[in-house]
Amino acid sequence: MIELDPGAPLDRHRATVKPDWIDWNGHMNVGYYVVAFDQATDTLCQQFGCGFEYTRDKIGMTFVLEAHVTYDREVKEGDPLRITTQILDHDAKRIHYIHAMYHADEGYLAATNELMLMNIDYASRRSAPWPVFAMERIEKMAAAHTVLSAPKQAGRLIGLPRKK
Amino acid sequence: MLDSLPYELPDLVTRAPLDTHRSTVLPEWVDWNGHMNVAFYVTAFDQASGAFMRNLGLGRRYVDGKLGMTFVLETHVTYDREMKGGAPMRFATQLLDRDAKKVHLFHEMFHAEQGHLAATNETIVMNIDYATRRSGPWPRPVAERLETLWAEHRLLPKPAKAGRVMSLSKKT
Repeated sequence: MIELDPGAPLDRHRATVKPDWIDWNGHMNVGYYVVAFDQATDTLCQQFGCGFEYTRDKIGMTFVLEAHVTYDREVKEGDPLRITTQILDHDAKRIHYIHAMYHADEGYLAATNELMLMNIDYASRRSAPWPVFAMERIEKMAAAHTVLSAPKQAGRLIGLPRKK
Repeated sequence: MLDSLPYELPDLVTRAPLDTHRSTVLPEWVDWNGHMNVAFYVTAFDQASGAFMRNLGLGRRYVDGKLGMTFVLETHVTYDREMKGGAPMRFATQLLDRDAKKVHLFHEMFHAEQGHLAATNETIVMNIDYATRRSGPWPRPVAERLETLWAEHRLLPKPAKAGRVMSLSKKT
């Protein structure tokens, strides 16, 4: 396993907006924001040994149960992305976290993605407790992230404002 | 506000929920877990939003004619069942609310043959003025269609999975 990054938030993931992520509006399509965020989830899971190799080696999988995305600014083809990750909560089988996507050069917030991720037993394809090696690291990261305040994009309810 | 649109609008489907959209899980939507990746559920739902918009008269011609665009502001997905490559999907779309510039939609994705619910998506879509790339009111014929649809959709009960806030306190 890689060395644990104690940074709060986790600030390791970088990406670039690919040409095939662009739609007819000339910006990154809503689905591909989630592709980019899902790759950041793998960067998170690698921290506690549950990334690609975890599934490739048939140990386990991680499934997303629920996701919430706020689309804050457009990004265009070739734009560099920086994605940070904050763990909000966790239990024996799940972690609740939020990614923030920034334009890496211009610095503005492009989107956020709040997620609930569950550990899955490879053989039964059902939920299972995190492996001990993963839980130890999740607890260390979660403890490091307690210094952060909850982002305003976390815990949102969707609706239209009633002002008229 | 645009007073008219320079093309013929499709016949309005007023059935509530809107149940016209069908799709199939593409091979490239499948990830290393052997199922449709989380992101492509959003892509599939975005296409269902596209079907809702086309019913309003806001299809490709709206963008290609440089009249306007529609942008998603926010979206919430519940992943209820796995979907494999090639699985046929059927969607049901309920209009939960609307205002001068936005719609609040709730989609359900079903396995079209086995019938089970695969996922839900609650989303806010906003009308965008093409020239300014900023929000603007719906074109007049679209606003009229929205009110016609609202008269039907408002009679539906609020879906159980709408209005969710994420928390670990809800046990699975």
